Amino acid sequence: MNFLPFIISGLGIGAVYALSGVGLLVLFRATGVLNFAFGAIGAVGAHVAWQLMEWDYPLALAILAAVLVSTLVSFLYGRFLAPLLSYRDTVVRAVGTLALALFLIALMGVVWGELPRRLQFPTDQMYLTLFGVRLTFTRIIALVLAIVVVGGITVLLGTTRLGLDMRALANDRDLSAILGVRITRTETAAWIITGIFAGLGGLLLADLVRLQGTFLTFLVIPAIAAAILGQLRSLWVTAFAGLGIGVAEALLTPIDWISPYRSATPFVIALIAVMILGSTAQAALKDR
Amino acid sequence: MIAIENLVVQFGGVRPIDNLTATISAPVSGLIGPNGAGKTTLLNVLSGFVSPVQGAVKVDGRDLLALRPLDRVKSGLRRSFQTEQVVEDLTVAGNLYAIADHVTGPGERIEAVEAALAFTGLRGVADTLGKALNLFQRRLVELSKCLIGKPRLVLLDEPAAGLTDEESATLRELIMRIPDEFGAQVLLIDHDVELIRSMCTQTLVLDYGKMLALGPTEEVLASPDVRRAYLGEF
Amino acid sequence: MTAQNQTLARPMASPSAIRVPREVLVIPVVMAVFTAAVALLANSFWLTAATSAVALSLSVTGLAILYGQLGLVSLCQFALVGVGGWVTLRIGHAWHPPFEVSMLSGGIVAALVGLIFGIPALRLRGLYLALVTLMLAGGFQTIIGAWGFPDGGPGFLGRADGAGRAMLSRPDLAQDSVPYFVYVSIVATIGLVISQWHKLARPGRAWALIRKGEHVAIASGVNVLTYKAWAFALSGFLAGIAGALLAGNVGQLDGRAFTAFESLNLFALAVVGGVYNWYGALIAGLLLRAVPALLTDLGIDGYVTIGIFGVALFQALATAPAGIAGQISGLIARLTRKGQKP
Repeated sequence: MNFLPFIISGLGIGAVYALSGVGLLVLFRATGVLNFAFGAIGAVGAHVAWQLMEWDYPLALAILAAVLVSTLVSFLYGRFLAPLLSYRDTVVRAVGTLALALFLIALMGVVWGELPRRLQFPTDQMYLTLFGVRLTFTRIIALVLAIVVVGGITVLLGTTRLGLDMRALANDRDLSAILGVRITRTETAAWIITGIFAGLGGLLLADLVRLQGTFLTFLVIPAIAAAILGQLRSLWVTAFAGLGIGVAEALLTPIDWISPYRSATPFVIALIAVMILGSTAQAALKDR
Repeated sequence: MIAIENLVVQFGGVRPIDNLTATISAPVSGLIGPNGAGKTTLLNVLSGFVSPVQGAVKVDGRDLLALRPLDRVKSGLRRSFQTEQVVEDLTVAGNLYAIADHVTGPGERIEAVEAALAFTGLRGVADTLGKALNLFQRRLVELSKCLIGKPRLVLLDEPAAGLTDEESATLRELIMRIPDEFGAQVLLIDHDVELIRSMCTQTLVLDYGKMLALGPTEEVLASPDVRRAYLGEF
Repeated sequence: MTAQNQTLARPMASPSAIRVPREVLVIPVVMAVFTAAVALLANSFWLTAATSAVALSLSVTGLAILYGQLGLVSLCQFALVGVGGWVTLRIGHAWHPPFEVSMLSGGIVAALVGLIFGIPALRLRGLYLALVTLMLAGGFQTIIGAWGFPDGGPGFLGRADGAGRAMLSRPDLAQDSVPYFVYVSIVATIGLVISQWHKLARPGRAWALIRKGEHVAIASGVNVLTYKAWAFALSGFLAGIAGALLAGNVGQLDGRAFTAFESLNLFALAVVGGVYNWYGALIAGLLLRAVPALLTDLGIDGYVTIGIFGVALFQALATAPAGIAGQISGLIARLTRKGQKP
């Protein structure tokens, strides 16, 4: 049984999961908000890209617009709505993003409808042949992008003032305020960053699988699963976990008896992760 | 009587309780010490929320540490917390029934709650919701909860914190009646040295998890070591 | 305030006494009025929607217990509704017992599953619990998508093809839509009364203590594990019964309609309806079924409903945590207080 093609295809989706997991984690660490609307934000961007391509605008513009729209939505929520809940507990703030997700799903449904579509990039047609398997440029871009972006974030957090402020907030919000960290600015920056990640993730997933509002919204679940495996703390572990989940899901495809259930892979992995890691990861969830 | 022997509590590199040996026998005893001395930790060990790495604790001759926290409560251990823990959405009576449900038999519940309400004078506000109570009433509810279901050892963590002098005096009178009227030993933590002096015949002083002094309250408060460490005198 | 020694007045009856408190009696009265109004005035389209709404309100009551009483977020409640529906259909098609038997089986199995779902949660709190339940909802979505609901066929899955497909039969007394609606209302009323009794009696007090803090609860002699488990089991049972009633409503259930998204929707609406008052669940059920029906009637896109729910949820979180029911009860309190002013 040749598993290689499945591993290859799994790496593509895994890269999206990795990207999304890290985007989710950065926001959570800096603001304490677990963003259930992550997938939906990306989905809106992907729909905008599709729409622009339908109107024959150039690809580059469509992609840029997608990322911009996702970032804008994320910014607007993070800057104006999220602060209304900032003194509530983690669960309430996460449920707030659930409200955003519902709203965005409704928006996409009304404007574009739930018909599944395909988002096609020219890089889908271009490929390398590796070990006798086709590796499309899109997948390569996804992997490279994931590495670059995760690496970039790590550098940002480690070397810039903004990164320092974000790490301070992640550690202790109130104390950071006393120390002069500008909370609104830093949190807004985190929302912008997560919006960019969401836009990229949404575009890639829409290309690799399909463009459909509710489906893309559920990208947030494997992203959460990856973040849980990273114990809501480590960016690189989250990224690798995302890759792993994508590959694991793909590997189950050729196995007949389990194949219909393979979409449950992220759920099962996350469940097992929480049971094993749950108690040690509690520390990451202390309310600030 | 609480007999503590070689008690050690360790969290990582910190020892909140460091080889403590003490026997507390007075009906109303005090537990004092600077912040971080290990007072609340000791109460948490007695309640069962913290497990010591070493040592033994016997209450009235029975091994306390062998019992699970719930069993300790059922055999008469009661405590209050530093910040009052009155349930806002239950009435005063509801708050008392909440503990009576689990520590008294079905036939005795009403009696036990009524007795506690009468003792602390809360009968008039029995149907008032927790959220409508002032601080003094809340502290009294906490105290009432400790009196339900044949208490044998009552641990009070700063029961008078935030109260006026008049309110503290009332609380003091009530606490001092507990050993005679309910047959329970009382151990209380407080920072108000005058309160301790007026209520407790015996006091244990902790500092950095170790026993600094234990004995009749007047002697303990007069000891130069205690005055230096806790009262800040040189 | 000085502590006077007051003479022992006539002992107050314990809240769990024989005298049924007003807060429980009001439920059957209000439900009776509501049921009568709908039964007499609704056309068949609205009757189906109302039946569905009342059935769903049972599952919301379960959520209200977990979230309103214990502060636990469960994002898999609709999956438990699906479990109840599945068991009801499987048993109903296999042995054709009285509807009540299938329904109770659905409730019991859903309670057990709810308990099993709850086990990882018993030691988790807050966000992790929410995430675990979301994962479980996702897992159920995959399974039920692959299995589908039983419809008269053989074997464990009970799937029939083509002509073999059967609809679940309703209870003998309640074959037509109006009697079935009344039947559903009665079952729901019983469920609501059970839930309210729990709130007012010993379990409710124990849950309130657990919500305050586990240490406070233990210090009051509460067995935290037992009471949390009981809450999960009860919540699951109510969801299972809701699933049975939904299965009886249409005669079948669609595996594609039990996505994780539906559980999220259910939770959102529970908050909007209000988790601290019994009628919040009824409001939530009505919002879930009646509002989409209304919009369809008016020719508005169904997705607009979801958008409204999203906005309502955020508004509830930010400004009215007790939901619509909370606003209503606040209003009633103000009005009755005004009436009592000297």
